[in-house]
Amino acid sequence: MSLVPQVLRSLKNLPPFPMVAQRTLILLNKPEVSIQELVEVVKFDPAITANILRISNSAYFGLRREIHSLHQALLLLGTQELLKIIIASGATRLFNAPTPGYFTERQGLWRHSVSCALMVSVLCRELSLPDHATGFTAGLMHDIGKIVLSLFVEQKFHEIMEVVEKQGVSFQAAEKIILGVDHAEMGGEMARMWDFPDRLRLAITYHHLDKPEAYTDDLILLVYLADILCLMFGQDLGVDGLAYTGYPEVLRHFHLRERNLQKVLLQFGSAWDEAQILFGLMGKKDGVQRANRG
Amino acid sequence: MVGVADMKISNQTEQVVITHALGSCIGVAIYDPHVRVGGLLHYMLPDSSLDEEKGRENPFMFADTGIPRLFKECYRLGAVKQRMLVKVAGGSQVLGGPEHFNIGRRNYAALRKIFLKNNVLIGKEDVGGTKARTMYLEIATGKVWVKIIGQNQTIIEL
Repeated sequence: MSLVPQVLRSLKNLPPFPMVAQRTLILLNKPEVSIQELVEVVKFDPAITANILRISNSAYFGLRREIHSLHQALLLLGTQELLKIIIASGATRLFNAPTPGYFTERQGLWRHSVSCALMVSVLCRELSLPDHATGFTAGLMHDIGKIVLSLFVEQKFHEIMEVVEKQGVSFQAAEKIILGVDHAEMGGEMARMWDFPDRLRLAITYHHLDKPEAYTDDLILLVYLADILCLMFGQDLGVDGLAYTGYPEVLRHFHLRERNLQKVLLQFGSAWDEAQILFGLMGKKDGVQRANRG
Repeated sequence: MVGVADMKISNQTEQVVITHALGSCIGVAIYDPHVRVGGLLHYMLPDSSLDEEKGRENPFMFADTGIPRLFKECYRLGAVKQRMLVKVAGGSQVLGGPEHFNIGRRNYAALRKIFLKNNVLIGKEDVGGTKARTMYLEIATGKVWVKIIGQNQTIIEL
């Protein structure tokens, strides 16, 4: 029996997308963003401003000089890095609820999302592509469908796993078979309700490359690859494990060999260590999370 | 607690050494029951020729630099090679053909090669598949458990 009507009904209770993040998403499309525009977006949210300063001064950027103001942060880090921080800070509220259908750890989805966003940045560097905040954001948001679908996956977990094991299909394909809808489609639907920019919405919808449309935008392929590499890296894995499909044509598309993937994982290891402050945005107890990351 | 590209050696019998969420990485647990010395290594990649400087900086990143260190450090606490019990977990893979997304399999192949060359036998192992695993080594007994990350958190003893 399809759960689609029930799933869609649950979308009616979808909370609004955090306002600061929403306004920042619009800025992603602009070729130039002025300091004034950024200040306008964050000035009513002191928590985000505090986060910007905290992250700017963390090991993630490793700046020698201490940053005291938004203006200084912009000058030293540049617009794209600042946009990443604002979006990550603004989006935390979205990921606040646990998603037991996918992750046994309360903050599992947040940690996986941040990892994927970081992995997109590392990949961009390896591919000599501009490390634009759009890629980071798409990595951060790719699994938002799991926020809503978790409840249904939790109820039908055993049936979904049985399909994965017996038919050898991906977890996402099994969701579609058992629930009638998968987390990528669900995320696309949420992105539509929240008025995300089209490119971002499509990256969310097609991030498992299950439709030919996925191959129309490198952004989608980057998010896909980053997601797969995060699964290989391990650490913030969910109950779905590595049950997703590796498509070699994506590697060919980017002219990546296995050795390149190994290099990306190597670099990601250091980036992941330095970015613990981003993982910590969610909770108060940074120390506890550090202890947990091993 | 053993992080990614990390290792812990112990002869403290009250300790349980843990490494979390192995994806394509591999966890190697070795134990000498005679002196109750054990070690757990969590390496990420097969071969340090990828980045020799990183391999020197952190030998636990790679199989070829990490595995010898694991044994050596245990010898320093009195362990003897012939008595060592060796257990291995991890090396998962994503779905799809055997080409390209192969790091899990290569990690395992590198380990087999090193063990073959040095006459080390693997006692038990739980490798491959698409599962995420957490690995435990109890220093008092040398028991090794693998927890499959999932709704039931299945635990198997190796």
